Amino acid sequence: MVVLVAERRDRAAFARLFDYYAPRVHAYLLRLRLDPVAADEITQEVMTTLWQKAALFDRSKSSVATWLFRIARNRRIDAHRREREEPPIDGAILDIPDPAQMPDDKVNAAQRDLMVRSALDLLPAEQLELVRLAFFEGFSHSEIADMTGVPLGTVKSRLRLAFSRLRRALDDGGLDR
Amino acid sequence: MTIRHHPSDDMLQAYAAGTLDEGQRIAVATHMRTCARCSGWVSALEQVGACMLERLPPTAMSMDALDRVLGRLSALPPPPAGAIFDDVPGLPAFVRRYRFGQWTWVGPGVHLRPIELPVDSPTRVFLLKAVPGTRMLQHSHTDLELTCVLSGAFRHQGGYFGPGDFDLGDEDVEHQPLVEPGEDCICLVAMQGKLRLSGLLGRLMQPFVRL
Ligand SMILES: [Zn+2]
Repeated sequence: MVVLVAERRDRAAFARLFDYYAPRVHAYLLRLRLDPVAADEITQEVMTTLWQKAALFDRSKSSVATWLFRIARNRRIDAHRREREEPPIDGAILDIPDPAQMPDDKVNAAQRDLMVRSALDLLPAEQLELVRLAFFEGFSHSEIADMTGVPLGTVKSRLRLAFSRLRRALDDGGLDR
Repeated sequence: MTIRHHPSDDMLQAYAAGTLDEGQRIAVATHMRTCARCSGWVSALEQVGACMLERLPPTAMSMDALDRVLGRLSALPPPPAGAIFDDVPGLPAFVRRYRFGQWTWVGPGVHLRPIELPVDSPTRVFLLKAVPGTRMLQHSHTDLELTCVLSGAFRHQGGYFGPGDFDLGDEDVEHQPLVEPGEDCICLVAMQGKLRLSGLLGRLMQPFVRL
């Protein structure tokens, strides 16, 4: 699909990508506590970037979702900048990972995705929930303690455990050295 | 090259989540350019984020969102070319677009080149260049200082730091780096708070260095 967008500048293919991913990117930005208007605007920018940079997308290195996650995260950093009315410094450049930042070719992106999914599914529910709140939704450890009623020390130790399990699972699969 | 010193796990997670401040983000990104271990782990974390993103229940955007984006596509300006700062190798691409100050003499054998951040950041970022044999001033930090070696090497109580190595200093650390023989040592430094120089020379230098 991204290939069609990149090579043929196919708007119908782009619209299909938009229909699937835009409402999810939007949902992610809402989880990061952006207001709906800003979330809408940034999602549109993210999808516009997908169109602009489609030719740089390499599906052997990354899934579309991972690429969009990265763009959305960087766009949100840029958006903070605009709130203070500072000129955006060519945020577009942020979306191109440096070559060294790309994982090696030992396993392809689809296999890696599968590994990440199963590693997440193997986490105990309460650890997965903490990873979601701390890592994905960006709450601080003390905010999480307040929200969940779990003592701060337990939040920290469960998170440490969760991330080391993830790291072990993904290391074993040859994801990183 | 062997990288011996890495950013903490917390810092890598914050990088992947997009919650590091701009100055620290630059320091970590600089390290990841040469460190396969950290960049591999960060991409795994980004995949974790992507997986969570895909599992979210989609939320409705404005009715005309797709039309507005399609309308925009035709009017897109070509990607900007812009001057790229490239006389110090090893910096991440996005940093090379930032504005760099002049190299300034800050002490015998030591020059500093500030990098202007496009955002307010509690962390200041600069390049530091020192000739071999330079004994940097004994100093401690009021806050966090991140250093990533771009070229050359230095050594202090915490070990040997060569290209790609990542050094973290905080208020508990008091060290006096010595630049290793060979080539000039160039580092990218991201520093919060103030630098405290100790000793008589330090006190004399302080107003001048203004760090
Ligand atoms: Zn590393």
